[in-house]
Amino acid sequence: MMQRRFRCGRIAAVVAALAMAAAGFGAMRARVAAQGAIVSPAAASAPAGSAAHGKVVYDAHCVECHGKTGEGDGPASPALTPRPRDFTTGKYKIRSTETSNVPTSEDLIRSVSQGLFGSAMPGWSPLLSDADIRDVVTYLETMTPRFLNEPPKVVALGEAVATSPESIARGRQVYDRLQCRSCHGTDGRGTGAVTTDFEDDWKHPLRAADLSEPWTFHGGATARDIYMRFRTGMSGTPMPSFADTATNAEMWDLANFVASLARKPVWSMTAPEIADHYARDEEAAKRDPVRRGHYLVDTHLCATCHSPMDENGRAMDGMYLAGGQLIRVVPFGDYPTGNLTSDKETGLGGWSDDEIKQVVTRGILRDGTRLPPYPMDWSAFSALTPDDLNAIVAYLRTVPAVSNRVPRPTRPFLPVYLWGKFKMLILAQDPPILIFPGNVGAAGGR
Amino acid sequence: MKKFLKRAAIVIVLLLVAGFGAFLYFIPPFFVASPETFSKPAIDAAPGVADIADPGQRAIAARGRYLVVTGGCIGCHQVAGPQGPDYTKYLAGGLSFHTREGTFVTRNLTPDPTTGLARRSDDDVLRLLRSGVMPDGRVTSYRLMPWGSYTNWTEEDRHAVLVYLRHLKPIAHQIPDPAPATPMVDPLAIEAVYGGKDYGTPAK
Repeated sequence: MMQRRFRCGRIAAVVAALAMAAAGFGAMRARVAAQGAIVSPAAASAPAGSAAHGKVVYDAHCVECHGKTGEGDGPASPALTPRPRDFTTGKYKIRSTETSNVPTSEDLIRSVSQGLFGSAMPGWSPLLSDADIRDVVTYLETMTPRFLNEPPKVVALGEAVATSPESIARGRQVYDRLQCRSCHGTDGRGTGAVTTDFEDDWKHPLRAADLSEPWTFHGGATARDIYMRFRTGMSGTPMPSFADTATNAEMWDLANFVASLARKPVWSMTAPEIADHYARDEEAAKRDPVRRGHYLVDTHLCATCHSPMDENGRAMDGMYLAGGQLIRVVPFGDYPTGNLTSDKETGLGGWSDDEIKQVVTRGILRDGTRLPPYPMDWSAFSALTPDDLNAIVAYLRTVPAVSNRVPRPTRPFLPVYLWGKFKMLILAQDPPILIFPGNVGAAGGR
Repeated sequence: MKKFLKRAAIVIVLLLVAGFGAFLYFIPPFFVASPETFSKPAIDAAPGVADIADPGQRAIAARGRYLVVTGGCIGCHQVAGPQGPDYTKYLAGGLSFHTREGTFVTRNLTPDPTTGLARRSDDDVLRLLRSGVMPDGRVTSYRLMPWGSYTNWTEEDRHAVLVYLRHLKPIAHQIPDPAPATPMVDPLAIEAVYGGKDYGTPAK
């Protein structure tokens, strides 16, 4: 049976390759998907799963982030840094294969099973069976013809250098020579870096890894994992492979050095260390309020409503914090979300700091209009510290301007309003808050 | 005399009607009372952390409290009382979200052993906050549970939130499982949120 499926797979692969040559990429993908089980050369070492069943698993668990077609554009994707993988390009960061090769099936199975630390990708291993994970990986491999056409070359793992003070000292020299500090800083935490903010191949924002926080290393934090990132590079990102610029031993030394930069996470600190940690955190926030503000805006749900979403619940491209999503608080009125970008005419560009803070913490617009306590959660934000408020304002000032004139909040006509209140207060009916897709601002129709 | 009584009756009736209209118009007093009237109870309701003996854990829980309060968890994970949210049952859940995909009720976040988070492992809670994945593998929409924001918390801040949630007062409050979608009140809306006592049967 297995033999037979393998042969079928080979035939299917040939047919599929021909189809692609003749009819292009789209036809190829449809064909491969239709064929079900495919044994790609990349998967030759691991028994391939069923792509058909993989699709079922994928549709149930992966679409929210990676999207229906696997282009990394699911509804949640605009909120995530780093963005979910676009499977249609075959560019993968975490590999054991040569630069710009596709990964092996084992690489993918490992990433799906244990998750990618420091990103929103969870470890699926306790939730999905090994067979499910194998099948979903087989399905991912049908999303680009590269797995069929470009068999990956697994890197030869050179002889390991065990960690030692000498190896770490040599690693520091390699770190300096390879200019690692220009992105990761002299201390691995970005201090003195030229910049730590980058874009990946899809023009999505990316931040250089903080090398002192090994629990955020996407591919794992053992010396071998770290070595592998130097050796193979991280496709689609500015992180290159150092295979041509450093010897095998040097890369191991570097891996040992990076591993030595690890600091304690807060959950294993002692009480004085914790106090110290939070004090340093506050200090850093004061030094760089824009970064702190960015963190707060990212974590305090602003974009959930202020970046308008389309019919599929996905934030519209190019409308980050540009407002215009219609929220109807029955019976109080229509409250389209405001434009928070730095646009002078339609955004916050013309607002004073105090006017912004007044809305954030007290729900009062600058013309005196009061907002109900939901869904704009000014009552929660009123507990923000003054420093954090300043940081949020500082960050909002840097948000790229998008011109989107959002209509003012409107209350319903008096009789409608009173009738709505009557139903609510006397008939004890439960009025909903309705959220509508689309942008009611001037930048685009619904 | 009779005429006077008649006039007085008319005035009283008019006053009553006007009073009733004003009652309808101004209650709840979102647009007249000071904003602090609404924010203070919501913030003060979050249990303090002073009773944690270990100073390190106390500092972490304090950080968690700050994130839970300013992150607005209580905005959705609230128990509806007769007059607005019942803050004595802090974070015990109960608002319902009607979407085209189904009806979802916010969960009980208190460490209650049968209905709350005590049933969940640390990994379960952290996975949900980081990736929106429930312990049964179901992926929650980032529009409902806004994990698309909480995923941006550093791992250390997420840990602090977990420590604080584990420290809350346990409250038994059974939350129904997600139910299939019902027709939307407004077919154009993508989502309808209800704060009602009966888990938000849509208004007729």
